[in-house]
Amino acid sequence: MTQFISKKDLLSWLSQLLEDRYLVAPTKVDELTLFRQVDRVDDIVFDFDNTTLSPKEWFFPPSETLFYVERKDGGVELIPATIERETAIFGIRPCDARGMAMNDYPFLAEPADALYRQHRDKTTLVGLACLTTRPECFCTSMGSGPHDPANLDILLTEVADGYIVQVLTDKGKALLPDKLITAADVSPPPVPALSDVPSGDISEKMRRAFDDPFWDRLADRCIHCNICSYVCPTCYCFDVRDYTDKERIERVRSWESCQSPGFTRIAGGYDPRPTKGSRLRQRFAHKLLYFPEQFGALACVGCGRCVRACPVNIDIREIIQDVQQLGVKSEA
Amino acid sequence: MKPENPLLPYLATLQDVIDLTPDVKLFKLKLNDPDIRDSFDYKPGQFIFVSAFGVGEAPFGLTSVAHRKAGLEVAIRQVGTVTAALHQLEPGAIVGVRGTFGNHFPLDEYKGKNIFIIGGGIGFAPLRPIILTILDNRDDYGDLLIINGARSPQDLVFAPEFDTWAAAPRTKLELTVDAGDEKWTGTVALVPTVVSELKLSPENAIAITCGPPIMIHFTLIELRKLGFADNQIITTLEGKMKCGLGKCARCNVGDKYICQDGPVFSMEQISELIEQF
Repeated sequence: MTQFISKKDLLSWLSQLLEDRYLVAPTKVDELTLFRQVDRVDDIVFDFDNTTLSPKEWFFPPSETLFYVERKDGGVELIPATIERETAIFGIRPCDARGMAMNDYPFLAEPADALYRQHRDKTTLVGLACLTTRPECFCTSMGSGPHDPANLDILLTEVADGYIVQVLTDKGKALLPDKLITAADVSPPPVPALSDVPSGDISEKMRRAFDDPFWDRLADRCIHCNICSYVCPTCYCFDVRDYTDKERIERVRSWESCQSPGFTRIAGGYDPRPTKGSRLRQRFAHKLLYFPEQFGALACVGCGRCVRACPVNIDIREIIQDVQQLGVKSEA
Repeated sequence: MKPENPLLPYLATLQDVIDLTPDVKLFKLKLNDPDIRDSFDYKPGQFIFVSAFGVGEAPFGLTSVAHRKAGLEVAIRQVGTVTAALHQLEPGAIVGVRGTFGNHFPLDEYKGKNIFIIGGGIGFAPLRPIILTILDNRDDYGDLLIINGARSPQDLVFAPEFDTWAAAPRTKLELTVDAGDEKWTGTVALVPTVVSELKLSPENAIAITCGPPIMIHFTLIELRKLGFADNQIITTLEGKMKCGLGKCARCNVGDKYICQDGPVFSMEQISELIEQF
């Protein structure tokens, strides 16, 4: 027997959630599917493969005020931004749940980032297992899988007339009332199969491939549009700037990409990473070598968004394959 | 004292702003909260972020030493937008301070050794706390040679202190400029040339260098020619940084973050890095 919720009960549960918290779910925004705060359940898209951007933007927004600077009576007061309201995010794919866990490593490492901590604490994560996959998907090679419940509070798997329910944490239990769940004799749908990307000892291979001209050759076609970083659920590099509006000043954090030419350029003009090749290598070395050394996991979840979005077909799956062969001394 | 929100600065008041060169000013800062002021400890080589509210914040090596209890000091060259905004400020202005960040020069390990301080331009700023620490504990260290270089005589930082430094026991000060002026009677040579001509002895010695990348590069070559081993050569690395906490992922060199693993590195550590800057 498995735990089950009918489609009708799920919709009424989601409507109830709207009463005392923000509900964030996949919605249509022009041609895109994005996690947006919804005011009515009718706006939720249930039939989607994956969203254009990951739910990362709800914990680490593209741009977010860190604090306000108020000038009063000749003095200065700093007012930190805070997250007050509870949020439930519905419709998170397992790869993106893993992406969030990857963001937790840097942001929650002591001293923890105050705003990120609040976002995480105030948010309950409701996942949706993948019944189908996209051609770019490779989550099973990156520590996750289409039905993986890890890093979620609740996982729902669609079956006829409803969903199999896995309540995984106390937070999940608090969100979904027991009375909506029934025991039912339904079997889960088959887990879709994905082709394998050989990521096993990729960190070691990256180290070996570090000085190979491969990176410069590959970067020739990169137009440093940064889209790979923006769609990535694990990319976490940021910029911090001040914005002034008459009397009020805000310090704002925003997404930044290691592919931007100014990423490492310091005042005075010196740039220790001045070539496209060195910047492209940084992206993959961070994901496949430095991050695993620091935190013990690859900073890629196999969602395939960068593969889909890159205008010049730079494909992390091919890079992982190619790196296997690089830096190997040819046998004489 | 660890802040609850590590990206939220402490407020500080500019006590004094002193012109060091035509484009470098020394800022004396006093943290507004007395509890934070009392618990704010730091070591030579560590850095803070200073905010000009409305413009932004940037990292600066502290030029003061905690044991003198004279407040925080940073020497700032006007080179970008934040530094330009800071240069506009006058005593009494409120700025933000975050820190302290980074590792430090392991001066305890240098006790009993001869120390060569080799700095160029504004790169000399983070070296001053080493000099002050050695001068305040003169018997703990061997001979001290300070080489301070700049583009021109008026660009030499900390000129008002030169006489005090030169007068200290077993201490020598060598000043050099890339180009002199009508009043300059001292050395006209690039810093690496001075290092070479003075034939610094690597025996029981540590060489600490900081300055523009090109100066560091050629100084290292000269030091190695003189027989210095890579673990006897200490330098600092500079990088774009936004947090100081190893989170913004801007200042990595290979798998090391300058803000946390540095900014102080020995040449031995630098040559082991996978990425070379």
